[in-house]
Amino acid sequence: MPAADERLRRTMMFVPGNNPGLIKDAGIFGADSIMFDLEDAVSLAEKDSARYLVYEALQALDFGQAELVVRINGLDTPFYENDIKAMVKAGIDVIRLPKTESAEMIRTLEDLVLTAEKEFGRPVGSTHLMAAIESAKGVVNANEIAAASERMIGIALSAEDYTTDMKTHRYPDGQELLYARNVILHAARAAGVAAFDTVFTDLDDEEGFIRETKLIHQLGYDGKSIINPRQIPLVNAVYQPSEQEILNAQNVLAAIEAAKQKGSGVIALNGQMVDRPVALRAERVMKLATANHLLDAEGNYVGE
Amino acid sequence: MEQVRDLFLTTPAVRRQWQTFLDDHGIHDFSEQETAGLDATLGLYDGQGQLVGTGSVAGQTIKYLAVNEDPDAPAGARFNQLVSALESHLAAAGIFHLFVVTKIQYQQSFEHVGFQTLAKTDQGLILEKGRPDINDYRQSLPKAPATTKRRAAIVMNANPFTKGHRYLIERALSQADFLYVFVVSEDVSLFTSEERLALVKAGTADLDGLAVVPGGPYMVSYLSFPAYFIADQEQAVTFQTALDISLFKDQIAQPLGINLRVVGSEPHSRTTAIYNQQMKKYLPPTVQVLEIPRLTLADGQSVVSATTVRQKIASGDLAALVDYLPSCTQAFIHQHLQTLQARLKKGSKTDAN
Amino acid sequence: MQIKQSALAGTLESSDVQIMLSPAKQGIQFDLVSDVAKQFGDQIKATVLAVLAAYDIDQVTVKVVDKGALDPVIKARAITACQRALAIADQPQWEVL
Repeated sequence: MPAADERLRRTMMFVPGNNPGLIKDAGIFGADSIMFDLEDAVSLAEKDSARYLVYEALQALDFGQAELVVRINGLDTPFYENDIKAMVKAGIDVIRLPKTESAEMIRTLEDLVLTAEKEFGRPVGSTHLMAAIESAKGVVNANEIAAASERMIGIALSAEDYTTDMKTHRYPDGQELLYARNVILHAARAAGVAAFDTVFTDLDDEEGFIRETKLIHQLGYDGKSIINPRQIPLVNAVYQPSEQEILNAQNVLAAIEAAKQKGSGVIALNGQMVDRPVALRAERVMKLATANHLLDAEGNYVGE
Repeated sequence: MEQVRDLFLTTPAVRRQWQTFLDDHGIHDFSEQETAGLDATLGLYDGQGQLVGTGSVAGQTIKYLAVNEDPDAPAGARFNQLVSALESHLAAAGIFHLFVVTKIQYQQSFEHVGFQTLAKTDQGLILEKGRPDINDYRQSLPKAPATTKRRAAIVMNANPFTKGHRYLIERALSQADFLYVFVVSEDVSLFTSEERLALVKAGTADLDGLAVVPGGPYMVSYLSFPAYFIADQEQAVTFQTALDISLFKDQIAQPLGINLRVVGSEPHSRTTAIYNQQMKKYLPPTVQVLEIPRLTLADGQSVVSATTVRQKIASGDLAALVDYLPSCTQAFIHQHLQTLQARLKKGSKTDAN
Repeated sequence: MQIKQSALAGTLESSDVQIMLSPAKQGIQFDLVSDVAKQFGDQIKATVLAVLAAYDIDQVTVKVVDKGALDPVIKARAITACQRALAIADQPQWEVL
C-alpha cells in the first residue's frame, strides 16, 4: 500500500528557501502543500544558508495544516546528501527530488533517507518522497518512478526544464505538454499516488492561469504547483465541487453509514453497488466541500 | 518576484540599459577610466522585467548605485536588497571590508544597514563597513608619547624617497614634538607601497620623535575618487580633496591629537595646488597647515622632485641622482635598476605621483 | 577558539538578519544595528552568542544588522556564519542544529 493518503493537494506553493520574509508567512495563505525550495530558487553561494534557514523554520514556525515539502538539490550536486540529512532531521513530511529520470534515483534517495531516519531517531518510513519529472527520459520512465517506493506520495511535471529538453518552450495553449501531462497522470494513478501539475509563471495572465488549471482539473490532476499566494483561491475555485456533486457524495456516504448500521457487507445506492472508487470519490468531494466552506455544521449547502 | 541578476556590461544592449538608467539618476561619468575598474555589476529587476536598481563593485568599493524605490514596498526594500547582494558578492570574493562614496541623500540608507560615515562634505560622503576598519587602523598606529603637545602629520607618496622628503620631515620635526609620516598605501606607483615605506623608514632611521606608517585606505587613496557623479573635473578634484581632508581631520587628526599638517609647496601640479588650498580652508583651527617651500638644488632653481628622479631612472642617468637622493634610495635604485626600468616600460609610470 | 576567516551570512532584506564574523584576538565583541534594538537587542544577542558557544567560538568580532528577523532566522544565519568562518560550510555540525 503506497504512502499516498487521500488528503487534498490542490495547491503546492513554492517558497524560496533562502527568503525569511516569504518563509515566515507561508502558512497563512491556506496552501494545501508548501514546498520550500533549496534548488533553483537558491544561488550556489547560498545553498548552505538556505538549508539551515529551512531547517530552523521547520523546527520553530507554525505552518498550520499544510503538508510540508522540501525540494532538495539534485542527485548530481554536492548539496544533495546534506540536504537529505537536514530535512529528515527536521522531520519534513515529503522530500521532492528534482530531475528524476529513473526508479533507481528514487531508490538511492530512499536508502539515504532511511539511513538518516535511523541516524537522527526519526520513525522509519515517516519521510515521504515525491519526484519531479523534468525531461523526456523522466516522462518515458514515469511508471517505474511513480511506483519506485512505498514512500512515494506523488509525481509532478516540471515544465520549464522539460520543454527545454524537448527543444521547445511553453506556449499559452499548453499543446507541448499534452503528452507529458497524460503520461504522468496515468503513471500516478496506476501507482496510486498524487499527480501535480507544473507552475504557471506569468502572474499577470490570470485568465491563462485559470484556463490551464481547468484543463488539468479536467484531466484528473490532484492539483497545481503555484508560485504566488494569489493563485491559491483561483485553483481552489476550479476544484470546488458543485452542489449536485456534493449532494451525490452525501448520498453515497449516507448509504455507507446505513449499511454499517445494518451490519451489511454490501453497500447499495439506487440499486447499484457502491464500490471503493465511488466511496473514495465521495470522500474527496466532501473534503473539497469542507475546504471551500460550502457546508454548514449540519451539512447544508451554503455556497453561492 | 523581484530578482537580482548579473549585468554584463560587455553586452551592448545591457550596457545601454544600465547607462540610461544611471543617467536618469544623475550619474553621468561613464569614462573608460571609471568603468574599466568595475569588477561586477548587479541589476535588480521587478516582476515585469524592468530594471529598477543597479550597483557595481570595484575592488572593495561600491559604485554606480541607483535605485527606483518601490512605492508599494517598505521604504528602502530595494536599496537593501541590492546592497545586500553586492555585499554577498564581495564576501564570496573574500572581501569583508568595504567602502562606498556616495551622495548625501544615501547617507541614512547606508547607515541603516550598518555602514559608518568616515567623512562628509556638503556634496558627498564616504562610508565604511566591515573589518579591519578605521578603529583597527588607528589602534595599529604607534602612540605618540602622552607628554607631546605639538603633534604633526605629513602624508607623502615618496615615489621614491628624496632629499626633498627628508627636508620636509626635518622642517616638520623642528616645529613639533612628534611627527606621523603617513606613506600612501595605494599601489599604483613605480615604487611599490612596500618599497616606498621601507625607504622612508630607512631614510629617517637616524631621527627621533617620529613614526613612519602606511596610510592605509584612509589617506590619499583610490577610495576618494568618485568623479563619476560630478560632471566637471576640477569640481571633482575639489570634492575629492575635501572628502580626503575631512576624513583626515575627523578620523585621524582629532583622535590622535594631531594639530599640525605639514605640506610641501607645489608650483606645478594643479591637483596638489587645489589640495593644499582646500587644506587651508578646512583644517584650521583644529589643525594648522604649514606649507614649506620645496627644497632646491645648489643652483637655487631646480626643485628636488621625485618626478625628475623617475625620469632619470628611465633614461639610466644615475650619476645625476646623487644630488636628489639620500644614500638608501640611491642604493636601492642601483640594486633594482633593471626591475624599475622594466616596470617603467610596461606601465609608463613616470607620470603617476 | 578563533575563527579561520571572516564570514558573512544572511541579507539586509525585511525579516532577515545579516551577520558578519571577523577574526579577533580578545573575547567576543558584539555590535548590533537594529530598529528594534531596544526591545529585542538582548534576545538577538543571546541567540547569536548561544550559537557561537555551540561552536566553541570565543574570540570573534560580531556585527549584526537586523531587519526584523525572527529567532529561528537569527539562529540559522548565525549557524551559517559560523560554519563559513570555520571553513566547514560543507560539513554541517548536526548536533548544533
